[in-house]
Amino acid sequence: MSAHAVAKVLDLKGLPCPMPVVKMSQEINSVKVGEIIEVHTTDPGSLADFPAWADTTGNEVLETKQREGSIQIFVKRLK
Amino acid sequence: MEENQKKELLELFADKLTRAARLYLDNCTRCGVCIEACHVYQSMPETRYTAVSRAQNIRRLYEKYFKLSGKIAPWWNEAVELDDAWMDRVWETAYTCTGCRRCMTFCPFGIDTGLIQSIAKLLLIGSDREPKVLTMLADVSISKGRNIEATKKSFAQAVRNLEAEVIEKWRSEGGEEAVPLDVQGADVLYVALAGKHSIVPAAAIMNAAGEKWSLSYFEAVNFGAFVGNPKKTKEIAQRIIDEAERLKVKEVAICECGTAYRVMKHMTGKHSFNVITFVELIARYLREGRIKLDKSKIDARITYHDPCQIARQGGIYEEPRYILKHLTDDFVDLQSNRRASYCCGGGGGLVIMGDKEFRMKSAKVKVDEVKATGATILATACENCHSQLSDLMEYYGLETKVQFVSGLVADALVQETASRKVPAATSEEPQLQLTAKAG
Ligand code: SF4
Ligand code: SF4
Repeated sequence: MSAHAVAKVLDLKGLPCPMPVVKMSQEINSVKVGEIIEVHTTDPGSLADFPAWADTTGNEVLETKQREGSIQIFVKRLK
Repeated sequence: MEENQKKELLELFADKLTRAARLYLDNCTRCGVCIEACHVYQSMPETRYTAVSRAQNIRRLYEKYFKLSGKIAPWWNEAVELDDAWMDRVWETAYTCTGCRRCMTFCPFGIDTGLIQSIAKLLLIGSDREPKVLTMLADVSISKGRNIEATKKSFAQAVRNLEAEVIEKWRSEGGEEAVPLDVQGADVLYVALAGKHSIVPAAAIMNAAGEKWSLSYFEAVNFGAFVGNPKKTKEIAQRIIDEAERLKVKEVAICECGTAYRVMKHMTGKHSFNVITFVELIARYLREGRIKLDKSKIDARITYHDPCQIARQGGIYEEPRYILKHLTDDFVDLQSNRRASYCCGGGGGLVIMGDKEFRMKSAKVKVDEVKATGATILATACENCHSQLSDLMEYYGLETKVQFVSGLVADALVQETASRKVPAATSEEPQLQLTAKAG
């Protein structure tokens, strides 16, 4: 169970480059400022891509979690 | 359009006016040979979708502001004012064209539509009209480069989590890392994309070949090039160049990503390392007998789509075919292939930008050629092409499955128990004939 109050879950597993970041950019506008999106992905590159995306767009990566075969990223909309 | 913005845009235009650019802008005879060459026009026959019309949108500005004739007799060469309305035409030049340069190979003067398109892209950036998604992706890559230390540990963990999947395709020998990272003195630095589909098969193949390799921390793709921003293109490429120099690698192998290869090979100058595509590396392993493939794994007719950036612009024609002929006895080329291959319709950033209807309609000519082969596997060696071709197959209801060359190879690797070394290629095996580089 996640410790974060999640407003939306996004399954971005198996998408081609650069669709995970593109989808994230689109979906962030579907939650309110202050709300959290939980992202599921299998892309190792997303561990650097999502913080860089948050940095670029003024949002925040709260936490990343990894298990074999899956990566969870918690993103908070800041603006 | 305000006067100072116009002035700034004309300065950007002037910066792009190299000798080659002037040559291409001065020398079109309107012969129309390029018209039928464009996949967009072939699929949607409208005048605005011809190479020459797109170029004219820029050429008419050039006539107005950079030629004497345009100043004294603007009607002579249809010179036009740079204003907000004309910027819509500039957009058409930049983003109804994929920059595939097929037209260039048919033009008797070799006029480079891609170079003219790059002027259009720069004018769009200068007037804040470029596709924002492409700029955002370029900025993400730059930010990633600047902050890479903060994410290295978690990336390394994610890569370790992939090892079981790599081992499933190729059992490494005891003590060897299945996905080595940050290896000082590696022979090959492999630059992948974010997704594991770009890492797992390649890792299995390099391990099977006994390669001394290292995975890059960075993604290969360069969104600075897609949006046409030379400064960002350079900064994004520099992250990989710095890493390759730090690790003192002999070669940088770019994953199946056409733009990444073109940028690293042709747009970043000379390096202390060699730059190759991953398909070249696989072909080398086969030629040297370092990997062996089991033909019985695939019972299907295979055809191949030449990615424009690797084939027409990089001269890599024969290596993928040589590899595929190790996987099947039923390989069939598309009617237009190698240098004359039609673009998939997704290049130049179009796959990312979202106008799916245009992408699908403008590439019908490609679908017709795939259908005519009767192939059930359409192989390619570029992520962008793979995405676009997969969308096309779905949109037009074809059963043909789009596959990466590396994925097909990794699934057919023959694991020999006694030794990782496999016999050298015999004369009965497909021969690799290298062709001259595309001009
Ligand atoms: S570069 Fe390709 S898409 Fe652009 S005009 Fe030429 S053939 Fe058409
Ligand atoms: S083929 Fe070359 S010279 Fe002829 S219209 Fe096209 S760009 Fe102009």
